[in-house]
Amino acid sequence: MAFGLIGRVVGTKPSRLSTAARLIPARWTSTGSEAQSKASSGGGGENLKTFQIYRWNPDNPGKPELQDYKIDLKDCGPMVLDALIKIKNEMDPSLTFRRSCREGICGSCAMNIDGCNGLACLTKIECGSKETTITPLPHMFVIKDLVVDMTNFYNQYKSIEPWLKRKTPASVPGKEILQSKKDRAKLDGMYECILCACCSTSCPSYWWNPESYLGPAALLHANRWISDSRDEYTKERLEAIDDEFKLYRCHTILNCARACPKGLNPGKQITHIKQLQQSG
Amino acid sequence: MGASKLSGMQKQVLSLYRGFLRAARSKPIEDRKRIEMIVSTEFRHNSKEVDRKNFQYIEYLLRLGTKQLDQLKSPDIVSLSSVKVVASKS
Repeated sequence: MAFGLIGRVVGTKPSRLSTAARLIPARWTSTGSEAQSKASSGGGGENLKTFQIYRWNPDNPGKPELQDYKIDLKDCGPMVLDALIKIKNEMDPSLTFRRSCREGICGSCAMNIDGCNGLACLTKIECGSKETTITPLPHMFVIKDLVVDMTNFYNQYKSIEPWLKRKTPASVPGKEILQSKKDRAKLDGMYECILCACCSTSCPSYWWNPESYLGPAALLHANRWISDSRDEYTKERLEAIDDEFKLYRCHTILNCARACPKGLNPGKQITHIKQLQQSG
Repeated sequence: MGASKLSGMQKQVLSLYRGFLRAARSKPIEDRKRIEMIVSTEFRHNSKEVDRKNFQYIEYLLRLGTKQLDQLKSPDIVSLSSVKVVASKS
């Protein structure tokens, strides 16, 4: 009965709308016809790529393994996260990984893709028939498949007290604490950090001392609060991290700058802290 | 009783077990018995089922247990409870 109504409407409307109305039913059936044409062409022009993904299940614990999955890149979005979601939807629902925003702002999908740490939603699938290896962030305890235990990382971030601390109350009580544009510009390159842990887990120094060395991410944030002109506890912050292990495990390896998916340079910020320690 | 020289991992497991029993002591009596029952069955079951050389899984269980113990130690938490899940063959 609904179709009958639509048919009557299409017949009576002017020509512009009737072409649009004709387009709509064509779109409804387009997937059916396209699928038929793909099947009839015999899968011609298929672009298969193999993904080797690290699997370990705590419910059936054995040795962790790299499992192969073949994906047709024509049916898949350009990013590695699209491939992972396609594998989970169509081939293996037990594949476990973290993801949220799919646009590189939440930092959930951080993993090691072809040896380099990065966000799965921002890393393009490399064209060509070479296999892509996906493993969890290196030297982190694995909870399941690609999901790692981030509690140590978050505790280190908490330990630098990443909030504004003041001794004197604001000059106008109840209003914002003012900051000049130049002082605000000092925070650029540090406030954008999304705590994805790509940098800390790419640092060999952090691999060998994860509990005592704070890691590039936490130190970047420490510098963000040290450099903030509104914060009045600068001396105490510097003293808190002036430690053989917390700060000086950094040997300017600079893997962190290479790994950061947001293009930040934690190594540079750590050097800034070291300079402040030297002079102050 | 037991091995003469305990390995580091065995000592960790035992200290986790001790930690659970100590945490149970601070709870009311009924809940204390329930906690002790659940913890001891869990540890005994794992000690039989889990291979001694499967270090990755043992460390995983240790980390899981330590997190649960930290939660249990908080005074707001009153008791533990467990559910038995039987995998169906259908």
